[in-house]
Amino acid sequence: MSAPLLRVRNLTKHFPVKGGLLRRTVAQVKAVDGVSFDIARGQTLGLVGESGCGKSTLGRAILRLHEPTAGEVHLEDTDVIAAGRSELKRLRRNMQIIFQDPYASLSPRRTVFETLREPLDVHGIGTKTERRKKVEELLEVVGLRRAVLHRYPHEFSGGQRQRVGIARALALNPKFIVADEAVSALDVSVQSQVLNLIDDLQSEFGISFLFISHDLAVVQHISHQVGVMYLGQLVETAGAADLYADPKHPYTQALMSAIPVPDPASGSERIVLSGDVPSPMNPPSGCPFHTRCPAAMPQCASIEPKMQNLGSEDKPHWVSCHLYGDPATD
Amino acid sequence: MPLLEVDNLQVEFSTERGVARAIDGVSFNVNEGETLGIVGESGCGKSVTSLSVMGLIPRPPGRIVGGEIRFAGQDLTQLSDKAYRKLRGRDMSMIFQEPMTALNPVFTIGNQISDVLRRHKGLSRKQARTRGIEMLAEVGIPAPDKRIDEYPHQLSGGMRQRVMIAMALSCDPKLLIADEPTTALDVTIQAQVLELIKNLAADHGTAVILITHDLGVVAETCDRAAVMYCGRIIEQGPVDALFEQPRHPYTAGLLASVPRIRPDRLPRLPTIPGIVPDLLDLPDGCRFRDRCGQALERCGQFDPDLSAEGDARTEAACFNPNPVTQT
Repeated sequence: MSAPLLRVRNLTKHFPVKGGLLRRTVAQVKAVDGVSFDIARGQTLGLVGESGCGKSTLGRAILRLHEPTAGEVHLEDTDVIAAGRSELKRLRRNMQIIFQDPYASLSPRRTVFETLREPLDVHGIGTKTERRKKVEELLEVVGLRRAVLHRYPHEFSGGQRQRVGIARALALNPKFIVADEAVSALDVSVQSQVLNLIDDLQSEFGISFLFISHDLAVVQHISHQVGVMYLGQLVETAGAADLYADPKHPYTQALMSAIPVPDPASGSERIVLSGDVPSPMNPPSGCPFHTRCPAAMPQCASIEPKMQNLGSEDKPHWVSCHLYGDPATD
Repeated sequence: MPLLEVDNLQVEFSTERGVARAIDGVSFNVNEGETLGIVGESGCGKSVTSLSVMGLIPRPPGRIVGGEIRFAGQDLTQLSDKAYRKLRGRDMSMIFQEPMTALNPVFTIGNQISDVLRRHKGLSRKQARTRGIEMLAEVGIPAPDKRIDEYPHQLSGGMRQRVMIAMALSCDPKLLIADEPTTALDVTIQAQVLELIKNLAADHGTAVILITHDLGVVAETCDRAAVMYCGRIIEQGPVDALFEQPRHPYTAGLLASVPRIRPDRLPRLPTIPGIVPDLLDLPDGCRFRDRCGQALERCGQFDPDLSAEGDARTEAACFNPNPVTQT
């Protein structure tokens, strides 16, 4: 197998909690706590988890929109964490982000043309006419008519705005895009259009995606690999087909069974989890999921499970759960 | 007699660009103890429908310009504001999508539940508190005697929605309207809250109108469902028939475009081409025509009404519906 495009090792992001009279750091929110994965060229890693599990923080830490506390990120041969200001700026040509709410992430005072030209200006790409041509091309790629060039974001529907957001991410021909809940705010009929667009862009330009979503069905549709996050940690990662056919971690199983299926005849048995997600400021000891796990055993409360591969060398299926015994420690 | 009869309801909103008819001739019934799902995409009028029933349409800019809403035989569109206030919270109540904005942040939960009980049931402060604790226990809030003195921000999203449900059901209403009650919640919490609404409605014999954009939620919780598009109901019927054999092309298109977990990944998601038309600039004839793959010539001239045909178990507003196949 060729070297992965993106390599993330033990990435950690803790946010300090300030308190008391002197605003000292009194605690740490462990938003991302030692996450490792690879993304291959032209492939999509889907990242699922509930609110507050750290999936957005992870996406931003990779791009250094949040400065990571520890860990390594390599994009091809470049060390993203060690990059200085000017190198980071150059790196950003290759790594971009699409946000959830295209209304909040597009400037209401700029036309589509101005928004899409900005990245080209910042990075000094092409002449004035070339930039204009590039912007027109971008619109075409995301399926917007040239007539919208001088419109403002409020004149668009949600789906069209998201297309503008996607076009902006594509402006610099990136190799890697973080799509943070990119279709979550859209209605189903529009969501399916945008998902197909992302799919097309990937096959056309060979872009790798980190596709962050809370929706397991959307993630299955778009991803080659899937990672499940809980309280700042990855609890399971595998190829999309393997993960959905045979989810190993009790949390993954519960997440899947919790999705309402648009088929009254399915009559699926529900695993309804009790309780809420614990606070990442004070995560449970041992396995972070043990407080809600239907299969929890005594050791789950004290011993933190390690990631182990239940699949094969070339088709790994990583899971961190005591149910599958413990990986050889010696 | 159905508990709620909505008959040819029409609601308009004045906007800067003109008058938008958000609801244009919507009719449906809800029987006692039944759960009706109203499903549709943003702007289809599903929330305006529920707000009309609750008498909560902001006036201005909105107004009910036609039709009747009969609740237990009484026409609500003729009701005075004062009479409506008596009805709301006692005979019909509502839970909203965002429990943080629906609860008052400066009062304790106990305060807010007691308000409802004291106003409508005439309970004393002490009785209302006891009943409030019982209600919190019933919706599955742990340590309700402590939680009752907490403020909304001290609770998680799922717990806040449980508090809303406790408040809404505290006077044993005949009708509960839940407007996207689980949209802001995570899937595992959504599963808990839907289960709770389902069980409580069954225990209390409460009729429920569940407004949602999520077809999965409708399939799992409702007896009947109505699909809305551009201010009209385009198909309605029993949930199993609607999902198994959708007759309106929009219903069929929506169902097909929902990504769902399946053993083999689809190469492409089916989509509905185009976008929802502007309410201020509706096409002639059927509102779905421009996006419809099976439109006929007369679809451009007339707007079809809901009708049942032959063996069909759903009513569809379409001149060229999908045929019913025998199963």
